[in-house]
Amino acid sequence: MAKDKGRIIGMDREKFRMFMGKYGIGVILLIMMVFISVMEPSFRSTSNMINVATQVSINAMIAYGMCLAITTEGIDLSVGAQLALVSCVLGQLISGKGWNIAAAIIVALLVSTVWGFINGFLISKFNMFPFVVTLSTQLIIRGLAQVISGGQAIPITDTAFKSIYSAKIGPVPFPILVLILATFLMYMILHWTKFGRYVFAVGDNMQAAIASGVSIIKTKTAVYTISGLLAGIAGIIFTAKTASAQSNIGIGYETDAVAACVLGGTSFAGGVATVPGVLMGIFIIGFIYNGMNLIGIDSYYQSMTKGAVIIGAVLLDMVMNKKNS
Amino acid sequence: MKRKVLSVLLCVMMTAVLAAGCGSDNKDDGKKDGGAKTEDAKDGDVNGDGKIICGYISKNIVDPFHAPINDYAKKTFDGLKKDGTIDDWTGILDGETDANKQIDRADECIAKNCDYVIILPAEASASDAAVTKMTDAGIKVIVVNSKTDSTDDVAMAYVGPDDVEAGEMLAQWVIDNVPDGGKYAHCQGVIGNSAQIQRGEGIENVMKDNGKFESVGDFPCEWQADKAANVATDMMNQYKDELKAIICDNDDMSSAAQKACNDAGREDIVCVGVDGNENPLQMVKDGEMGATVLQDGPAQVEGAIDLIKKALNGEETEKEVMISFVLVTKDNVDEYLK
Repeated sequence: MAKDKGRIIGMDREKFRMFMGKYGIGVILLIMMVFISVMEPSFRSTSNMINVATQVSINAMIAYGMCLAITTEGIDLSVGAQLALVSCVLGQLISGKGWNIAAAIIVALLVSTVWGFINGFLISKFNMFPFVVTLSTQLIIRGLAQVISGGQAIPITDTAFKSIYSAKIGPVPFPILVLILATFLMYMILHWTKFGRYVFAVGDNMQAAIASGVSIIKTKTAVYTISGLLAGIAGIIFTAKTASAQSNIGIGYETDAVAACVLGGTSFAGGVATVPGVLMGIFIIGFIYNGMNLIGIDSYYQSMTKGAVIIGAVLLDMVMNKKNS
Repeated sequence: MKRKVLSVLLCVMMTAVLAAGCGSDNKDDGKKDGGAKTEDAKDGDVNGDGKIICGYISKNIVDPFHAPINDYAKKTFDGLKKDGTIDDWTGILDGETDANKQIDRADECIAKNCDYVIILPAEASASDAAVTKMTDAGIKVIVVNSKTDSTDDVAMAYVGPDDVEAGEMLAQWVIDNVPDGGKYAHCQGVIGNSAQIQRGEGIENVMKDNGKFESVGDFPCEWQADKAANVATDMMNQYKDELKAIICDNDDMSSAAQKACNDAGREDIVCVGVDGNENPLQMVKDGEMGATVLQDGPAQVEGAIDLIKKALNGEETEKEVMISFVLVTKDNVDEYLK
């Protein structure tokens, strides 16, 4: 696409490069959507689109937290276990103790946020590797979930609670509204606030950030605390969806979140991320699942296809950007 | 400036694709409706769109127990599609042993306008939303292998094994083969899973009335063979010759436990489990393990598909079909080992 002209689709080469760098993944998303639509017409139905958007809301919450962690050159592996803990706390409070839903949700969110804070504090204060810290807290958090639930599944029969997943405002299910709100807030936090700039600064060059007076401890702690809070929200949606609290949920959910971040152009070297990019990554993951099932790809090949699509998409993104740089 | 223009263009394109998609889909619907009006709806066409579409939501596609079930379903549904009994089916949808994913798969079955869906639930309560979601959409759901909470109320039918019976068979086998009694360990599946709960109940039913046996504990092994093998070695260390038996909720675990015992020179320890997977069957055949309790998975799916066939013929269908367990020993192992 980058010929010797210097101008591509009526744009300066430099501008095109920046555009593709930021939104190249959108083109891939579009290609994917068109491809699946051609293969399976029922994919395009409005109800299926709403389904996918509702389904990805859980992964989206986790991915936004993960994106913050990765941007500061870290990772948050505890999110899957956080889902389980939040679920079990909700189950015990609502079904076991008969608490009202709002109070139970606040406590559950508080629990996950505190664990996020503990992650962040350990990582920043003692300069421990995020991988090691969150790998360990993951075990502690899941263990805690098992203790709280006694290893049993606790059914939550409260219809008001279940409606968190199924309630619709107009044609739009509630989780989509949460997704929109979270996307908007994340965009503001990351791209418009001082804190957002600190996050990028810490990830980009920690020494320089320290030299210019950015508090590493505060920034990193806040990052993991937000990730904890978002995991808590994901846990609530998850629990409302399955109407059951159990300690074995969310195993391996960090993988999809990391994949969404990477697809969205979040760099493991730190300091690079965009919220719209991650959102598109989230939808790509959602469409991979949904599309393959609708097309009827043999499930034995789905796992391979998933891996190949992720590598292919990231590679294409890289190649497009490199060619233009 | 131009970047902005392009980004706006991109957005427009996306919405256009979506809108075009919705538009043409509506047209499709119109056609379908028209078709249904002119030609008489077939017997058993649940949603009346003139097409019989079946769905199949597996529990997972990796467990040795589920592989032959899925294979059987694939073979049978492909056959039905070929001979025109059904128009299409979803293929094997992967539930990933995750209720959340199963609910997503249920959405897809609804999007595909399925008439009948067979589901093998991952969890008793958490997967229930997948079942109710589909029945709310008017789909006839057949729950296979283990029940979800509202299966009795909303599902078209349940086809499955009696897991309490399986637990009783396990305990009985141990009692019959360790005449003097002694200590036994119990390796559990994933806690909270209905098979785990009911098999445990069956074991308890038989063992609680038997004074000769004493449990050294229930160990959560999450259906995992290696964890059961660890329990076996740990318990042999701790209780030495007093340990007489290891009862496992599945036979991946019992075969691994038996192997650990045999490797330690304790062939006398009786290990037994449920499922009838290839490896344990081979061990029974080779005389390395006494018995295994076979759960005839393919027979369960067969039962479910038979119900769909009956419904398509306009026949009455049963609400519940129980498929029996089979005790497999050296005498009858050849019938089941392929």
